[in-house]
Amino acid sequence: MIFSSISFLYYFLAACLLVYFLVPSRLKNLVLLLFSLAFYFYGEPVYTLLMLASTLSAYVHGLLIDRTRGTKWSRVLLWSSVVTSIGLLGFFKYSDFFISNVNSLFSSDIPLLRLALPIGISFYTFQTLSYTIDVYRGDAKVQKSFIRLATYVTLFPQLIAGPIVRYTTVEQELSDRKHSFEGFAAGVNRFVIGLAKKVLIADTLGLLIKDFTASGDRSVVFAWVYAIAASLQLYFDFSGYSDMAIGLGRLFGFHFLENFNYPFISKSITEFWRRWHMSLGQWFRDYVYIPLGGNRVSTWRWIRNIFVVWLLTGFWHGADWTFIFWGLYFALFLLLERLFLAKWLDKLPRLLSHLYVAVVVLVSFVLFSADGLTGAAADVGAMFGFGNLPLWSADTAYYLSSYAGVLIVALIGCTPLVKTVAKKLYGYRLSGRVMNVLEPVFHVCLLVLVTAYLVDGSFSAFLYFRF
Amino acid sequence: MNQKAKNIAVTLTFCLFIAAAVLLCALRARDPLTYSSVEKRPMAQFPSNVTWQSVVDKTSIEQFEDFTVDQFPLREFFRSVKARFVLNVLGLKENNGYAVEDGSIAEIKSSFNQQHLDHSIGRLAYICDRYLADHDGNAYLAIIPDKNYYFAKDYGYPAPDYDALIEQAKQQLPALEYIDLFDTLTLDDYYKTDWHWDQSKLADVIGVLGERMAFSNRLPAEYEQHALAPFYGGYHDQSALYPAPETMTYLTNDVINDCTVYDYATGETTGVYVPSLFESETSYDFFLSGMKGLQRIDNPSASTDDELIVFRDSFGSSILPLIAQGYRTVYVVDIRNVIPATLGSLLDFSGKDVLFLFSTTVLDSNTFK
Repeated sequence: MIFSSISFLYYFLAACLLVYFLVPSRLKNLVLLLFSLAFYFYGEPVYTLLMLASTLSAYVHGLLIDRTRGTKWSRVLLWSSVVTSIGLLGFFKYSDFFISNVNSLFSSDIPLLRLALPIGISFYTFQTLSYTIDVYRGDAKVQKSFIRLATYVTLFPQLIAGPIVRYTTVEQELSDRKHSFEGFAAGVNRFVIGLAKKVLIADTLGLLIKDFTASGDRSVVFAWVYAIAASLQLYFDFSGYSDMAIGLGRLFGFHFLENFNYPFISKSITEFWRRWHMSLGQWFRDYVYIPLGGNRVSTWRWIRNIFVVWLLTGFWHGADWTFIFWGLYFALFLLLERLFLAKWLDKLPRLLSHLYVAVVVLVSFVLFSADGLTGAAADVGAMFGFGNLPLWSADTAYYLSSYAGVLIVALIGCTPLVKTVAKKLYGYRLSGRVMNVLEPVFHVCLLVLVTAYLVDGSFSAFLYFRF
Repeated sequence: MNQKAKNIAVTLTFCLFIAAAVLLCALRARDPLTYSSVEKRPMAQFPSNVTWQSVVDKTSIEQFEDFTVDQFPLREFFRSVKARFVLNVLGLKENNGYAVEDGSIAEIKSSFNQQHLDHSIGRLAYICDRYLADHDGNAYLAIIPDKNYYFAKDYGYPAPDYDALIEQAKQQLPALEYIDLFDTLTLDDYYKTDWHWDQSKLADVIGVLGERMAFSNRLPAEYEQHALAPFYGGYHDQSALYPAPETMTYLTNDVINDCTVYDYATGETTGVYVPSLFESETSYDFFLSGMKGLQRIDNPSASTDDELIVFRDSFGSSILPLIAQGYRTVYVVDIRNVIPATLGSLLDFSGKDVLFLFSTTVLDSNTFK
């Protein structure tokens, strides 16, 4: 089940909110757990048991790590927990990647497992890992209630697409959280805006990408338009989903940390990654980069650390060489910036530093979205005139003029401009009052529009009868 | 409104909106739609025969997903909201592939499906090989450009390669004499809310066909024009824009009025126009009763004994009452409903002229048997 669906909005969420706010406080976690399991079961009936097994593993390991604290067994149990979690993730997500590479390398014929990837396994595995590691480190108290821990791991707002919520972030709220009109209204605002970002903008940009892919009349400019559309689609899709997750969390009294902070306004790639998928970056920083020594080591070890972290970051996104190269591509720019470019970038006019980030990021997302390395090379090559394409074409003119409106909305929407203006308007007494009146109206308008898109999504005229 | 009041208002508005939608969904679930006349397809129903296996393999879950969307209340209202937002606010040129210019709606297509073209033209070639190898009459091919051809040209929309289609048809059907209709039509000759042409605007088409097929001199000069309203073209609902209905026009004279149409499947005889079908789901079925496998138009007023066999689609239905004036008998075949291999037992091709008259849209579909 996805948030941007009729079944979620008007069946699941409606039922969940009703039951959640009807039951007494002591049963709220249980309600959330049951609804979260139902949410996951709806999308992954079979793998629900796998998620529960992963949760149970984290729960038992947490208890045992805490009980053996100060002994060598504590460390053994931590490694047991890490191996179990990474083992499950590796088996279900990466088996076929390794098998196909072994087959290619040694001309062997090991059959592929062809396992369906359990939805959200990358996210909940990192959450369970963060829990056991934090318990081992003493950064988090062990959770003795299985229901509370399972509620944390399976919490449906962030279960299948993040943000990666650390146990310590919601530790307190799992046992005691407050519900208020203020929190609920903030949650509604965030959820509805995220829904609109996903359905109205990201999905429309997806159509442009589809049109580019289907076009037999591409050009260099069209390749750049595609790169911009693909980057903005990824941003609005993923940040929209994060907004929905954060908003849903607020409805139920949780405060999740931010996952995006206007990454496209960055003036360096280092800054970009401080603003893009922040929960993943922080996870790798705290659980891989710093334990490896971070930057407090020799230059060569530091370079190794950067490459390890970004190789893993790329690999985390998908079991394909494209993602590994995508991660290493960023590692390269991060190293270059730290070693050579940082001072130079500081002195550059803002426009040029933004342009540098834009080009690097656009190329990265073309690589990210490409169908294999060959497709990536072709798409990136086309942007720089290596695709034997004309500079301009009729399709370019048509699709650019058709999607100009949504591209402009997306380009403005990926900057803090709207938020800044809204904040100013809320700041003045009169305009603030008007904004307060308009806010619920705005939400209803967005909900109507989103519903219209979702309903229309199933439109399928049966053409045979037409002629 | 202060901050506190706003928070209460936001909370209540959201909850009421969701609650209202839930209530409407529940009401609809009690009396679900079974069929969409707009989309011409059955609407998804609440999953029946739910078993553990159907849940685990997600069959029932997918059925439920389809049910929630198909049965969502005010479906056409929401589709209309989306269409207007996409076209008028976001400024996209198409919504679900439909574009509007000056009140005329067209379905935008940038390329043909080569497999479909190969199949369609292949089936026509089969008919030529099987029935026209030793044919003693004339055989013609006329391809009707779809509305998108003129729409794209007039308003700068993408269009498929029509020249390549014609070239392929000519090459694969060398036994047929090609009649070019592309220069005989304009966008105005098509209904604004439908993909079909307007029968009353086909004078140039009839002129070219009559001249090449040598029946011009047998056509009466006078027609009486009639109007049927309201005409809701196929794009009217499908585009979700619901523009004002149009008027459908048709031509009569004594010759046309005397013509009868015999349906081989039902044994029924009607006129070339069937007024009751104008009120049906597809108003264009008014012409020759719509899609029928094999029909025969008898023209008792004909000044000739010439006979014609026409392979056609619904564009042919509307022009055939005019063409039929030039022949004693016209056999009308729709190879979407008749298997070409069986035609030998149904029709005698000897001495008859043959016309293959198809729109590019039908050639680009995969519907020929």
